[in-house]
Amino acid sequence: MSDEIVAVESETVWPADSDDVEEAIVSSWFVREGTAVTEGDPIAEIQIEKVSLDVPAPATGEIHELLVDEQGEFERGDTLARISTDQ
Amino acid sequence: MAEADEPETAETTDERETTMSRAMVSAIASEMRDSDDVFVMGEDVADYGGIFDSTDGLLDEFGREKIMDVPISETGFIGAAVGAAQAGMRPIAELMFADFFGVGMDQIYNQMAKNTYMSGSTVNVPMVLMTAVGGTYNDAAQHSQTLYGTFAHLPGMKVVVPSTAADAKGLMHTAIRDDDPVVYMFHKRLMGIGWMPAPDGPKTSVPEDDYTIDFGEADVKREGDDVTVVTLGLHVHRALEAAADLTGEIDVEVIDLRTLVPLDTETVLESVRKTGRLVVIDEDYHSFGLSGEIIARATEGALADLSAVRRVTMPDAPIPYARPLEQAVNPGREDIIEAVQAVTE
Amino acid sequence: MISDTELQEMYGWMVTARYYEERLQEEYLEGKQPAFDISAGPIPGELHLAAGQEAAAAGVCSHLDDADTVTAPHRPHHVAIAKGVDLERMTAEIFGRRTGLCKGKGGHMHLFDSAVNFAGSGIIAEGCPPAVGAALAAKKRGEDSVAVAYLGEGAISQGGFLESLNLASVQNLPVLFVIEDNDWAISMPKERVTDIRNGSQRADGFDMPGKRVDYDDACAVYEAAGEAIGRARDGNGPTLLEVQVHRRMGHFMGDAEGYRPEGDSERAKRRDSIERMETTLQKAGIDDDTIGDIRDRSHQRVDDAIEWAKDQPEPEPDEAYDDVFTNPPAGWTPNTKPEQAESTGGDD
Ligand SMILES: Cc1ncc(C[n+]2csc(CCOP(=O)(O)OP(=O)(O)O)c2C)c(N)n1
Ligand SMILES: [Mg+2]
Repeated sequence: MSDEIVAVESETVWPADSDDVEEAIVSSWFVREGTAVTEGDPIAEIQIEKVSLDVPAPATGEIHELLVDEQGEFERGDTLARISTDQ
Repeated sequence: MAEADEPETAETTDERETTMSRAMVSAIASEMRDSDDVFVMGEDVADYGGIFDSTDGLLDEFGREKIMDVPISETGFIGAAVGAAQAGMRPIAELMFADFFGVGMDQIYNQMAKNTYMSGSTVNVPMVLMTAVGGTYNDAAQHSQTLYGTFAHLPGMKVVVPSTAADAKGLMHTAIRDDDPVVYMFHKRLMGIGWMPAPDGPKTSVPEDDYTIDFGEADVKREGDDVTVVTLGLHVHRALEAAADLTGEIDVEVIDLRTLVPLDTETVLESVRKTGRLVVIDEDYHSFGLSGEIIARATEGALADLSAVRRVTMPDAPIPYARPLEQAVNPGREDIIEAVQAVTE
Repeated sequence: MISDTELQEMYGWMVTARYYEERLQEEYLEGKQPAFDISAGPIPGELHLAAGQEAAAAGVCSHLDDADTVTAPHRPHHVAIAKGVDLERMTAEIFGRRTGLCKGKGGHMHLFDSAVNFAGSGIIAEGCPPAVGAALAAKKRGEDSVAVAYLGEGAISQGGFLESLNLASVQNLPVLFVIEDNDWAISMPKERVTDIRNGSQRADGFDMPGKRVDYDDACAVYEAAGEAIGRARDGNGPTLLEVQVHRRMGHFMGDAEGYRPEGDSERAKRRDSIERMETTLQKAGIDDDTIGDIRDRSHQRVDDAIEWAKDQPEPEPDEAYDDVFTNPPAGWTPNTKPEQAESTGGDD
């Protein structure tokens, strides 16, 4: 059994019609560090300009680290969180 | 209370947190899956998902027959909800802002609220009227009121005001299942909408399974021996912040009423008997309303124990637009602290 | 026939209104990026801009003078500009300043300028009954002024509007109801909420003349409104006029318009009433220099108004408690927060 870390990347959820935007905010986290998540579960809502969208967990595991504060800004390409998965 | 058995501590937890709007939507969706009688009517409830996200995502699952956009005709569609409810269905009608009640009020207070009584209980009206309330975002006098007291004053409708996601879900289940009309008033600032950031507090963990919260049970959010603060909606969170600031100086008990009709007088009295001091915080107008009612009940039930009362409310004035003006009238943390200090002097 | 002066005046209002909305959008988004927080920035709260609806304002208001009343709904700026509302004080109001039209109490949906008899309301269709009342007052006093009530196509199913049509009709009052049909009521397309394509047909049920202008040509609006307002001034009663306009922006700022089919906004933007007006001016023989000059002066006026407004003082917090009554009863207090309550009769 080994822990693997999977990054929650903002790039993966960035919608095509927001291609001209480079910054966004995390409007809500639905998890804390330590929360168990299943792949596909919404773990956060982000807001890119006026558009809100959910960020699904890219893997099943446990939230290892949240890298952006709630209401905090981030740039396209930033990692939002890390999930540790036991393999 | 619903959250009572939630697992705290432990390294790993399954409890995800959710916003108040998502909690409301999950309750509505679950009731709709269980019963074909439940449906939603309102302006911009379909594609838009409710201006304050109260029906977000429901269109995808239930379609336009069940999630109905209706004309801007509040008398018409609220009244239609009354009629459908009397025919045995369980409609949820959304009044986009409580402030708009004026254009549909007859259907609300003369029909929805009175038909059970006037018919000698041969008719009942199992509907939910859900509506957005409150200010703090400079939307001025026609879009910022709570009107808690107005609705609670008129007999025949139950009135609930959630302040957290966990309460929002349980109270919504109870509201939809209730055989009487329920006015479900949600504060915009608490919904967890991206464009109107909520304070800390309304986002909570929420059990996955359905659960109900009985009407008429206030929630003691924080125990304390010195002063009882009674409040609801947004100001639950402002009061908790004020109480936290006063830690070490004054020990504040904070009561979230959660439902106005029925009102949990007993919880208020119990607290007042203990503390002897009562402060009511209300985002509704000062006179002839909720704050006066709470103080009246406290004096009727615990006069001998009371040494001081105070209320902090909106003034008896319409709500102004400009930021410094609205901030002046809407009770803030500092105002709550001052009132609590004043009753302990 | 429309005179060259009137054409130029209408064009001036239209470019003023368009540029005004574009500049307000910029100011509004200040402090709201990247996080769109509705209560942040120099203009907080909701903001409903009317870019694409200028023709309906210009074509009607060209026939009005200060004594005539106009009521406008939540999307009022273009109408206010054409009605001659004080642009600087209106802008100060939108910025929440003490020298604003309403001392910062009303905000952009609730603009009142009694000097030109302009009033607003944010409650759908609720500007209609007061317009009927203004017309009633004019009739009772034997004045020849008229009242115009503006509303959106989403408002035509509201009781306040339908009751007003009936009252104006049965009392034969000098009122013009102007429906601005921009196809949308927030996210609801009009075919979802009414079975009539042409809102002016609502007039039929009240035995009132109804007319629709199918394209946002200020001159066509001018003709239709001229006839209606002439009838009203002559004592021949109310008219219902619908004008097709276009919503070039979201319902309010911050509206991501996810509900709007691809291409619909683009289509709305292609139908540009201002370009149409420029062509009309050219055809009337007005040279490009004159047109450019009107545009530049209008833009300058807007920039100046915004600059002036932003320099104005904010209201003092205690001013929140003024203006509840014109004639405050003796001993009355607004029951302010404890630290502000000086008089007796308040708390505790
Ligand atoms: C009585 C009432 N109901 C609902 C609203 C919320 N609301 C504000 S604008 C709007 C849509 C209005 O559409 P329309 O009349 O077509 O005007 P537009 O916004 O398109 O200019 C709604 C539903 C309101 N302000 N008043
Ligand atoms: Mg419209």
